[in-house]
Amino acid sequence: MNKDFLKLAAVLGLILVGLALSGCGESRSRYAGAYRSVNPIAEKNYSDLDLQENGKGTWTLAGKTTEFNWVVKGRKIWIYLKTGAIIIFTPSEGGKELSADMTGEWHPGCPPTSCVVFKRVPEGG
Amino acid sequence: MKGKQAPPSEEAGGLKLCELGQPCVVPAGTRIVSQGETPEFFYVIQSGRLQVFRETADHIRTPLTELGPGAYFGEMALVTGQPRSASVESLEESSLIKVSKEEFDRLLDHNPQLARHIIQQLSSWLMSGDRRLEQEVVHQVKLRQISWFDYLLMLGLSLFMALVFNIYNDNGIPLIYGWGEKNAVPEIGLGQALEMYQKNEAIFVDARKSAFFSQQHIKGAMDLPEILFDLMYPMFQYMVAQTEGAKDKPFIVYGGSFSRRFDVGLARLLRKKGTERVMVLRDYQSWPKIFPLEGKEPQETASAPLGLPGYLEWLPVGIFLLILIPPIRRSPYLSIACRLLLGVIFMAFALSKILRPAVFALNVVDFGMMPSLGVDLWALALPWAELVVGMFLILGIRTRAAATLIAAMNLIFIVGLVHAIYLHLPINCGCVGEVGEPVTWWKVLKNTGMVVMTIQIFLYDRFLVLDRGGFIWRDSSI
Repeated sequence: MNKDFLKLAAVLGLILVGLALSGCGESRSRYAGAYRSVNPIAEKNYSDLDLQENGKGTWTLAGKTTEFNWVVKGRKIWIYLKTGAIIIFTPSEGGKELSADMTGEWHPGCPPTSCVVFKRVPEGG
Repeated sequence: MKGKQAPPSEEAGGLKLCELGQPCVVPAGTRIVSQGETPEFFYVIQSGRLQVFRETADHIRTPLTELGPGAYFGEMALVTGQPRSASVESLEESSLIKVSKEEFDRLLDHNPQLARHIIQQLSSWLMSGDRRLEQEVVHQVKLRQISWFDYLLMLGLSLFMALVFNIYNDNGIPLIYGWGEKNAVPEIGLGQALEMYQKNEAIFVDARKSAFFSQQHIKGAMDLPEILFDLMYPMFQYMVAQTEGAKDKPFIVYGGSFSRRFDVGLARLLRKKGTERVMVLRDYQSWPKIFPLEGKEPQETASAPLGLPGYLEWLPVGIFLLILIPPIRRSPYLSIACRLLLGVIFMAFALSKILRPAVFALNVVDFGMMPSLGVDLWALALPWAELVVGMFLILGIRTRAAATLIAAMNLIFIVGLVHAIYLHLPINCGCVGEVGEPVTWWKVLKNTGMVVMTIQIFLYDRFLVLDRGGFIWRDSSI
């Protein structure tokens, strides 16, 4: 019984260590902040993006706010929506500009036909 | 040494047991003979009760039998000349006849009937011992194989951990997608929808992912992926506003997935936005055969670099080649390599999916083989099953059952891959990482290699196994 318990404890321990390690991503601090789309969406509304350092974020468009989680992986920003969709942002100009791939798929760069570009909003601006 | 009744005749050739032996009385708890000692006497019990047992060096006692009046013991060691095979202790005050070796030999010389009886008893004991040994061997072999409990343990543990983790996971998902949704969406048949399409009386909306829409959609349909609804809806509204006569036209939503996740889901979302005239195309698979279509030729889907797991996945193909060499094929050391490799691969696969089950659920939907009811549960449980089974393989626990589970998962996945390849589905496999690898025949080959590895483990794994009997470091034969 004691031996079985030790085996089970070993399995659970390894799982927890694995989970803890898998949750670690690259530092978010470089990209945390507020962004606004360069062009209006649907010719009238600008889209606002707020990336908080704790990994939470909001995307506001036409008065509607969508919450998401975000991580930095492989020099790209991965945004996870509640629906399971992933939107991948490619940072440029040292993180001042973000290009959002609105296909919801991974591409080496941002496809021009489905790309929304955001610029960092200066603090206090 | 075993319970035996007194010989049929105690008298032969003028010799009687009672005349030969010395009567003696032993109090309860007296050890009369001890395992391993040199034999000197044969005993017949006149009254009382005695226990026969074996005892290990660390005093683990295995009771063999109890003897009562009329039974005898101690004859085997005298006949074979070997040390005592077991110990005998009185359970209560007992009266015995103690016969010396010389007297016992004389008794046998003059009493063939008694000698035959003792030989029969010894033979019967040997046969019984053989049967018990066989049972033990069968038991051990079965223990080294697999049982339903192994599967229950692994799958039960996986499901339990998946459900508990889902409760505390910020990214948790409902167990059944759409369960309890009350606002039913009206459906429209293909013929009626086609008629409305031809008369330009409806707006067709494609609810699938963008990659599916780009590859093929109903000519003139609008793209509104259900999974990006919140972000795309303002643009959709704008596009609708630009459409002539849109105010009077109903929306006909279509998808293409067996799970009906996207089309029905999108229709519900549109209705929640206050759009009353929304219908779902009833026959979700037949629209490409009836409606005019537009789209691009199928292209290879882009995929993110996988890093270490991506390289590790090629090793099964190498091991597949090694397995073709007979002496290596049977090596238990190859089994260890296979276990470690599969364990690491499956744990890496699992850890890349566990934290965000909603992402993996969409990958499951992409394959178009799972009904809506099962998608979320599958997406929750499968990564945990991969993790637990991978862990069991590495730690050497229930390795044969773990190997069969990995084989089953791989076979299901191979069927999904082949299905996706034949249908030219613009998807990534979703097997490792959140984006996954392209669905290609190479991927099928890699997974076939893994199946071959599981067979090797099942047949030849026997080292470094933490089995029911303890840790098996090296080869041992029963």
